Amino acid sequence: MSRLPSTMRRAAVGASLAAALALGAAACGGATAQDTAVGNGSSFVSGSYGTTVFGQGSRPQAPQVTGTMLNGGRFRLTTDRGAVVVMNFWGSWCTPCREEAPVLGALARHFSGPGVRFIGVDIRDDPASAAAFMRDFRIGYPSLNDPNDAIALDFSATVPPAGIPTTLVIDRSGRIAARIIGPVSYDGLKALITQVSAERP
Amino acid sequence: MTGLRTPPDASPDPATPPDDDFAEPGAAAAAPARAPGVRLGVLGWLRWGWRQLTSMRTALILLFLLAAGSIPGSLLPQEGTNPAAVSQYYASHPALARILGGLSLFNVFGAPWFAAIYLLLLASLVGCVLPRTVRMVGSARQPPPRAPARLSRLPFAVSYTTTLEPEAALRAAAAVLSAKRFRLRSGAGWVSAEKGYLREAGNLLFHIALLGCLVSIGMGGLFGYKADRLLVTGTSFANTVTALDEFHPGRLVSPGDLQPFTVALDHFSASYVTSGPLLGQPAAFKAAVRYSAAPGGPTRPYTLTVNHPLVVDGVRVFLIGHGYAPVFRVTDGTGHVVFDGAVPFIPVETSGLTSEGAIKVPDADPQQLGFIGVFLPSAVDVGGQLESRFPAPLNPVVSLVSYAGNLNMNSGPSQSVYTLDTAGLHRLPIAPQPLTVGRSMRLPGGLGTLTYTGYQQWVSLAITYDPGQLPALVSGVAVLAGLLLSFFVRRRRVFVRARAAESGGTVVEVGGLTRTDAAGGFEDEFSGLAAEISARHAGSPGVDHDPPPHGE
Amino acid sequence: MPVNTGLAGVSNDFLLTAVVIYALAMLAFACDFAFGKKPVKAAAVRAPALVGAGAAGPDSGVAADGGAGAAGGEDARTALSAPGGGARTAGLRGAGRWVAIAVALTSAGLALHVTGVVLRGLSAHRLPWGDMYEFVTALTCVAVAFFLAAMIRYRAYYLGLFVMVAVVLVLGLAETVIYTPAGPLVPALQSYWLAIHVTAMTLATGVFFVAAVTGIAYLFVDRHARRVAAGLPTGSDGILRRLPGPAALDRLAYRTVVFGFPIWTFGVMAGAIWADKAWGSYWSWDPTETWAFITWVVYACFLHARATAGWRGRRAALIQLTGFGCLLFNVLVVSLVIPGLHSYAGLT
Repeated sequence: MSRLPSTMRRAAVGASLAAALALGAAACGGATAQDTAVGNGSSFVSGSYGTTVFGQGSRPQAPQVTGTMLNGGRFRLTTDRGAVVVMNFWGSWCTPCREEAPVLGALARHFSGPGVRFIGVDIRDDPASAAAFMRDFRIGYPSLNDPNDAIALDFSATVPPAGIPTTLVIDRSGRIAARIIGPVSYDGLKALITQVSAERP
Repeated sequence: MTGLRTPPDASPDPATPPDDDFAEPGAAAAAPARAPGVRLGVLGWLRWGWRQLTSMRTALILLFLLAAGSIPGSLLPQEGTNPAAVSQYYASHPALARILGGLSLFNVFGAPWFAAIYLLLLASLVGCVLPRTVRMVGSARQPPPRAPARLSRLPFAVSYTTTLEPEAALRAAAAVLSAKRFRLRSGAGWVSAEKGYLREAGNLLFHIALLGCLVSIGMGGLFGYKADRLLVTGTSFANTVTALDEFHPGRLVSPGDLQPFTVALDHFSASYVTSGPLLGQPAAFKAAVRYSAAPGGPTRPYTLTVNHPLVVDGVRVFLIGHGYAPVFRVTDGTGHVVFDGAVPFIPVETSGLTSEGAIKVPDADPQQLGFIGVFLPSAVDVGGQLESRFPAPLNPVVSLVSYAGNLNMNSGPSQSVYTLDTAGLHRLPIAPQPLTVGRSMRLPGGLGTLTYTGYQQWVSLAITYDPGQLPALVSGVAVLAGLLLSFFVRRRRVFVRARAAESGGTVVEVGGLTRTDAAGGFEDEFSGLAAEISARHAGSPGVDHDPPPHGE
Repeated sequence: MPVNTGLAGVSNDFLLTAVVIYALAMLAFACDFAFGKKPVKAAAVRAPALVGAGAAGPDSGVAADGGAGAAGGEDARTALSAPGGGARTAGLRGAGRWVAIAVALTSAGLALHVTGVVLRGLSAHRLPWGDMYEFVTALTCVAVAFFLAAMIRYRAYYLGLFVMVAVVLVLGLAETVIYTPAGPLVPALQSYWLAIHVTAMTLATGVFFVAAVTGIAYLFVDRHARRVAAGLPTGSDGILRRLPGPAALDRLAYRTVVFGFPIWTFGVMAGAIWADKAWGSYWSWDPTETWAFITWVVYACFLHARATAGWRGRRAALIQLTGFGCLLFNVLVVSLVIPGLHSYAGLT
């Protein structure tokens, strides 16, 4: 071994270990995705919620979403071209979804004109529970039934819903303008919708 | 590897010239060369640090620390695999748990200090092994060293006289050795032979492959992911984050990276031992699934069994467990059907698959409803108590305790779907009655009705994607190959000297030496060689010599 | 196919008889220590030290009549002595009547042991190492077989008493305390990789078992030798004086670990392959996996310490025994007490 005095040697070893620790911490820190708990009532990748807004030039095109609505009708996303579409992924069993439901209901009533369309995507729910949820929270807009996760899958290539609740704001040209992971706030979502509605196509 | 001391009692050996793999490069060169009193610059410190890091002693210490660091990971409950036990630990030992949690001892393998040890070990191995590999490749064609002057000092030595001329004796010896594939070098009055170069190659292969293993595990940790999903018969799911019960992504995995396959469970069957002392033990599980690799792609059937996963798009789907999901229909006080579906119940024991679960009806009017209870696949009355005596659904009975009030689901933290938070609920005055299929339970106070309409089975699937899996396998095989080579190939040298004796004839000396003869056996090899060489010499006419002493 | 309980019963009988015969062999080894003739001192049987093989103790395989034999300094005539110096014999017959009886008994016991294990497998229509009981019976079988082989190769008769004591204890425990009836495997274990993985681990454990016994014997002999060299009173040392010197035991332990280490490495890898096929991940830091890794690291440190740093003697033996301790911890504590994917011991 080297002939440096042992105190210096110890100090040097300590410093290198500390440097390595810092490196390790940096590698592990940052936006780590915490694991969800078993059977967690939100299917959340917690720690990763937040809002992502895409500038007008860099918006991915939303996929062709089609599906059956809970009330039986057919839905096709492209028929809503020209309106701003707010797509909310939810489940009646999901606590944060229930927390944001009054907000969504109120916002849907606020933006009741033809320029904004609200649509829900119901995940892992039976139709009876979903209908009861919509009755309970007085949700006036329809929801799609997605028992096979087909709709979530459609978005996986572009802006996937990274947990529920997730809310997507799709602009009038059918491009995804924003994604909110986690319960929405009234003011935040309202501002977002207003901003996207005011854009020129 | 630098920084290694030679064993203290190894005398400077003429058979091991300096700068030779037989003698590990001495540590005398380890100290940075500088005049005393001159301080090291930054570069000097870095160089010193690097040399310390890549010394074998440091590598061993780091390896040992890696092992020692994983001890708490095996004894304490870990968040990744058993979060419930972790919470329980916090509940029962709050102060201690806080300390342990602060040291990341409930998540050892994701802890920064563990990653630091792992990264340092990686660096140490790289810095150790690569230069040595380069050196080995460079010296691959090196001839053996000169024969030492006094062969009698070697650990194995034989000497005898023969009437052959020295040159002829040496030629004969060289012929014997080269027939045994020794690499030869001749000089005036001596022949030097060496064999077993593969040992060093094996040693390096082992360490490089170890590096490969570490890197593969790291790759898996960065780009791979593991997920779980519980799937009820008759339903399907797609590989998206919203559809997974648990999702443990690698550090660099984002939700958009998930391969977009879909799996549908058509049918599940389980068979059990029906007689003997192991009654009820599972014998076989089979899940009939249909899958498609991408939306709109072709759908294929597959029979999923334990140990035979479904492989789709590089991702593997494993059958882990199974259970029952009784189906309930709940009508609330206003007459609406507010719940109608299967509720997975989790088995709590294996001999009868007694399962527990919870039903939450948060949108019932006038009050939210909740139920917890047990599902008994083969319910049998044992002294007034119901027990499940067999895991198959021979007499599936459900027994529930009913609650009403506030489920605490409208705000606050997420709950597990398998347990009920009864803090805001009051128990309903209706005794838990065992329900058979088709029976209903009318809740008091006009709160509604619950009907047990049937049962389904569910399977739990583990979905794993690990791009480091194949590299890890290849590295593992290489580890084993390198290990075997380095253990069982001996690097050995044999020297022969022949000189004219004063009394006529030729004195032949044969000496041998081996380095780290792990498996033993060089002695036998040497005695065999010596015997053969002397026999070759003796084959010439007029020889007069003593046969070499034989070992016992 | 239903389990053949009759055959399983016969298997038990064979194994119980094997335990009894091993106990008799153990007695015979003890008699050899007590009454057997002193080992023959053959001529010129000094094994000179190998390069780099610095003898830790004051002897290096000289005849076992006290540890303070002279070493080195003699001429380097080829003394091609076999390693395992102590009881210098020219073969089994030369080792004495008691050793011959003991070896015969051990061999007979091994035959019964093997039969018992095979019958258990036949009764359950699968390989007979699917639960803790079967694992223990199989590994003790391997240990005895390896010990017999070591006796033949290295003439390590002196190990007999110690190995037999351990085997009788462990096998006896298996038959009484951890016995489980034969039955089919749970689905998680129905894979040919099970055979490969558990076989390898069983083999390696048996080999490390012998190495550990040798290591313990080494510690006693080394302590005795040092006390003799220092002139301290050594108390009753009849057994110890009949064992070979510390260096020979040290070497034997090293060679045994060298044999077992690749098997253990292969076993861990095979286990990783099996885990990958069954649970989706070849390394999930399951407690048993983790402790198998720890055991591997400790044995690797032992090999490194011996081969490159030249650590002989007590330090090396202690590392080796720590490794075996980790192995025991893994088998006894981790798989039985700590929940994880490996809890298939069949004990509830």
